[in-house]
Amino acid sequence: MKISLQGVVKRFGATIAVDRTHLEIADGELFTLLGPSGCGKTTLLRLIAGFYSPPDEGTIHFGERRVERLPPYERNIGMVFQNYALWPHMTVGANITYGLRLRKLSADEIAGRLERGLRQVNLVGLAERFPGQLSGGQQQRVALARALVLNPDILLLDEPLSNLDAKIRVQVRAEIRRLQQELRITTVYVTHDQEEALSLSDRVAVMRDGRIQQVATPRELYERPVNRFVADFVGTNNLIPGVCTEQGRGGVIVDTPLGPVQAGPVDAVGAGERCVLAVRPENVVLGSGGENVFSGRIAFASYLGDTLRYDVETESGLVIKVDVRDSWHHRLLPVGEPLQLGFPASAVLTLPDE
Amino acid sequence: MNARWRPGPALGYAAIWLFLILFLVYPLLRIFYDAFTDEAGRFTLTNFLEFGRDAYYLRSLANSMLLGLATVAGTTVLGFAIALLLVRFDFRGRDLFGYLTLIPIISPPLVGVLGFTFIMGRAGTVNVLLHDWFDVARPINFVYGLHGVWLVETLHLFPMITLNVLDALAKIDPSLEEAAESVGARGWTKLRTITLPLTTPGYVAGALLVFIWTFSDFATPLVLGVHDLLAAQAYLNIVQFVDRRLFRMGIVISALMVGLAVLFLVAARRYVAIKDYSSLSYSRIARRRLSGVAQTATIGFLSLVMLASFIPYLGVALASVGKGWSLTAIPLSYTLQYYERVIVETPKYILNSFLYSGLAVLGCVMFGVPIAWVLARTRAPGRDLLDGLNTLILAIPGTAIGIAYVRAFHVPFPGFDINLTSVWLVIPLVLCIRRLPYTVRGAYASLLLVHRSTEEAAASVGATGLRSFRDITLPLIWRGVLIGSLFSFMTSLQEASAVLFLSLGGWETIPVGIFAFYIAGSANEAAALGVILIAVAALTVLIINRIAGARLGGMFG
Repeated sequence: MKISLQGVVKRFGATIAVDRTHLEIADGELFTLLGPSGCGKTTLLRLIAGFYSPPDEGTIHFGERRVERLPPYERNIGMVFQNYALWPHMTVGANITYGLRLRKLSADEIAGRLERGLRQVNLVGLAERFPGQLSGGQQQRVALARALVLNPDILLLDEPLSNLDAKIRVQVRAEIRRLQQELRITTVYVTHDQEEALSLSDRVAVMRDGRIQQVATPRELYERPVNRFVADFVGTNNLIPGVCTEQGRGGVIVDTPLGPVQAGPVDAVGAGERCVLAVRPENVVLGSGGENVFSGRIAFASYLGDTLRYDVETESGLVIKVDVRDSWHHRLLPVGEPLQLGFPASAVLTLPDE
Repeated sequence: MNARWRPGPALGYAAIWLFLILFLVYPLLRIFYDAFTDEAGRFTLTNFLEFGRDAYYLRSLANSMLLGLATVAGTTVLGFAIALLLVRFDFRGRDLFGYLTLIPIISPPLVGVLGFTFIMGRAGTVNVLLHDWFDVARPINFVYGLHGVWLVETLHLFPMITLNVLDALAKIDPSLEEAAESVGARGWTKLRTITLPLTTPGYVAGALLVFIWTFSDFATPLVLGVHDLLAAQAYLNIVQFVDRRLFRMGIVISALMVGLAVLFLVAARRYVAIKDYSSLSYSRIARRRLSGVAQTATIGFLSLVMLASFIPYLGVALASVGKGWSLTAIPLSYTLQYYERVIVETPKYILNSFLYSGLAVLGCVMFGVPIAWVLARTRAPGRDLLDGLNTLILAIPGTAIGIAYVRAFHVPFPGFDINLTSVWLVIPLVLCIRRLPYTVRGAYASLLLVHRSTEEAAASVGATGLRSFRDITLPLIWRGVLIGSLFSFMTSLQEASAVLFLSLGGWETIPVGIFAFYIAGSANEAAALGVILIAVAALTVLIINRIAGARLGGMFG
């Protein structure tokens, strides 16, 4: 089921939680709303679910059907809440089949669907338990089964992994993705964890202050952020302020505290305009590689297991992060060690200053 | 310093147990012993057989059960309706009604019933008006009889349900209801299958107290001329002190009441234990603004209930200043002579009440705070039993405690030549035992909120044991202790049932005075004392509210 939002606005008193938002989510897509807390991502999800019905402005369509005035139960959605919201006075089975019983389905039909639902989420045999007797990961899966058993057109997940341990989180994440692809169900997923968003989604919308900043595939988002906020929020970036001095077909030259930096071609920034350069730490090398070479001293080293990250203080005082991937074969440099670092023009993104 | 066994805490713990065994367990066991033995001390069931053969007692038992259940039903309807309206909807005067809900709690039932008789009695305001305006010749009997007791108890006790349900509703995570909506439950279905079941633990606790309170109240029925109730029979049998057989029957009845109360308590606990829905989220569900018609209906309903529960206040207030008030709607001339009589001429009622309640609260703090600490922080042997006893006190009828004390302490203690019931200290003692749970609960709840690590941190910098309790724990829990103590104090002032059995000449407290004056026909003096009692209670509630906010629900659970 395709979802389409046109000019949707939601206010809480004087604050605007979601501001004139347009969004097209394709059928069968796993679409993620990503952003820091308070950015409006959960509000947007709840607008789609129907908990703020109607929105202050705008229209919402599911397929051809206009839904923004409908209550949640008439939208045929399945929702998984951040804290699961399992009803503690009902067994797992009763939780899952509650919606079916409200629809007065036959006992056989209900039993069959419960059976299938439990199998889908690997909880066979736990139907008689109460939610309080289950682990966090199991509760999570009950919530998922409860949402799916009604055969919803759209699955809505509100930070479903935030209450789980790191290990289980990765496991449940994979399960959600597998299930979503099996069922080909249009899914909207809310998270503040950019790694989760990148690993799981077909497309991601990054939000800030109630507005969507960028909608893109995970790869595009990481490699081609459209503004400083997205570049900073998704992954790690060295952000270097500057003024564009030369704008040409082969690239631009930007005057920065480091000195002049060569960057790849860009349209959004003209000569003489202020801008921000973004360079990923993994694209910076120790030594004099690439078009841009600067000298500095090691200020700090952090060992991250698969990577070794140096904070290098350049002569201008600006700190540049440098990742050394093959830390196994790398001799750790002491703090204060003078060195050179470099990065190619092709690794430098020039973003308009906000 | 090396870790070693220190006698201090162990002795303290032993003192707590000694206190409870001596002044709670022993008297209760004593009435059970009496109930199951004959004059010669041999085991027998004759007493109960005799009870079972007596049609009047059986009717009393049936009436008591019926009254208890009917009151639970009445308070449930009122209590739930008001709690839901207050929590879920927004309407004019919502905050005001929230405060008004507390009002019935302020007046002890003994005062409430007086007020009702002045306004709704045979020659009360309503009947006078009916006669004058509508020529209703025969006065309508609003209050005298079982239905009157039911009305008074329901209007007095519904806040117990309201407060407990309010508390439970406030704790329900809104997403539980949203999840229900998202799968298609709305309106009544959602309320019936999701919301109400989640309030069960709080509701059951409230309902149990309502039942036991009604079940064990004898003062209200007696004022309304109802004698065929269990508690009333126990009282009448005990206070006559002449017929030994009747006296023993009073003891048998009180043993029966304790047994039933414990049975209900255990059943309720069992039921609630399997329904522990404590969730961590305390976010709020947005209140719905009511439409014009619904708003009018809501305000009308609440006003009616509040008005009804306001009747006793109006009644006692008028009677306390009305000179020669009879056969008119309101008094024709006013005087302060009744106040003068109960304050200036015989100040003992007020002085005794404050002295006894003050001492009782002192005892509550002395024993209650350590008990709370043991419950919250230790795994001392007997801890669960201590917890059980503390809850048991809430369930045991005051009538039964009073009778148990009369029975157990009218003979001298071994080694003393004076019996406890002839020393006035017995009154603060029984009050202390009766009201101990409120202090324990207040302190226990605060202790649970103070994370243990704050004490461990104190220990890590060298403050151990009592020192860390004094410097770290106490400053953090005093608020809870104070609230619990104020509640203990207020309810001690209001205690009628246990004290009525034990009070001798010169020991009279305000409730005893009210009862004595009313039974002796001096209704105005009784009303004046009632107004004083209400004023003190109102002030106490106001202070508690200031400290705690309006969340009194936990106190009754």
